[in-house]
Formats: sequence, structure tokens, C-alpha cells
Amino acid sequence: MNRFAAVMVLTLFGAFIFMSVLLLPEFGSYQNKDVANYYLENGFNETGSANIVNSIVWEYRSYDTLGEETVLIIATIGIVLLVRRRV
Amino acid sequence: MNVIIRTSSRILFPFILVFGIYLALHGHLSPGGGFPAGVVLATGFILLVIAYKERKIEHRFTEVSFINLKTIATFALVMVILWGMAIRFILMDTQAPFALWGGGVTFVSNIVGSLVVATALVVIIYSIIKE
Repeated sequence: MNRFAAVMVLTLFGAFIFMSVLLLPEFGSYQNKDVANYYLENGFNETGSANIVNSIVWEYRSYDTLGEETVLIIATIGIVLLVRRRV
Repeated sequence: MNVIIRTSSRILFPFILVFGIYLALHGHLSPGGGFPAGVVLATGFILLVIAYKERKIEHRFTEVSFINLKTIATFALVMVILWGMAIRFILMDTQAPFALWGGGVTFVSNIVGSLVVATALVVIIYSIIKE
């Protein structure tokens, strides 16, 4: 019974993923990219930074960057705890 | 390491630091930013640590000082990102296109983020080499 339920859930999940792949826009198409177009049009005026990549990384998605830095800090703490013998 | 590597790394060290600081300060104007600037800054210190033995370099900068700096920089980065709206509101008047001091929040977080990345990498490599 458990196996049957797992197979059903996975099949449903796979069907959803397959449908979403079929609904993807064509590779390289310029349509359905509202977010990117918004960044390109308004990013310079809103953030004052000429580097659009930097304004996305540090302003529009700064919480994502905070998570990246957290990963880096946790990796550092782990390596220091593993490697160092004395404190 | 021999004397050639030691001398060339000692000569290269300030230039690597200047390049890293340039990447951090100019991150909102040209390609670069917090992460590459931090990696370049860390490269300079790692070069010195590898070229000299760590016993000779330890009176200049110790591992504990880098860990303390990393703590302060991480706290500052968390504060900058959490209070980003307030900082943007404060720095709104200084925002100007293509100006060095006109980056707003991006400018501040570039500097703090480069410090976090640099100190994290230096602490990793330093603690591995030391043992």
C-alpha cells in the first residue's frame, strides 16, 4: 500500500514536471520575460547602479545573497572545527 | 619556499590588494562586485601565507584576528541586508548614475560582502595550512 501510494505520488509529480517542461517558452525567445525586462528598464533608475547584475544580486534578490553568505560562513565554521586541534 | 617566490609574492601582494579593493568599490559600475572582490583579496593573503611559513607571518596577522573580522563583517552584512530599505531611504539623495559614491545600498553591501568572502576564504586556507 505504501509502495502504491509512493508510485502514484511520483507519477503525478512527474506528470506535472513534464507538463511544465512542455509549457516552457522556446529557447532564446524574448517573450514572457517580464521580470528580466523590468530589471533592464527600471534597475538603473531604482538602484543607481550601472551594473545590472550587481543590482539584482545585492538589491532585488538580497535575501538570496544572504543565504549564500550563510552557506559560506557555515562551511567555514565546519572546516575550522574539523581541522583545528586546539582552540 | 625559496627566496624567489617569497620576494615576488611580497612585491605582488599590494597590487593584488589594490585590485581587490578596486573590484569592491567599482562593483556597481563595472563588472566585479562583492564575491570576486573577496576572492581576489583572499588570494593576496593566501599567497603570503603559502610563500612564507605561517610562523613568520603570524606576527603580522593571526588567524584569530581574521575570525574576529569575519564575525564583525557577517554581522554587518546581515544588518545591511535586513535594513536595506532604511539604508536606501537614507542614501536616496546620493544616488547618481555612474558616480562612485552614488551606488546606494549596492555600494555598501559590495564592500561588506567582499570583506565576508575574503575573511571566510582566508580562514579556511589558513586553518588547513596550519595543521
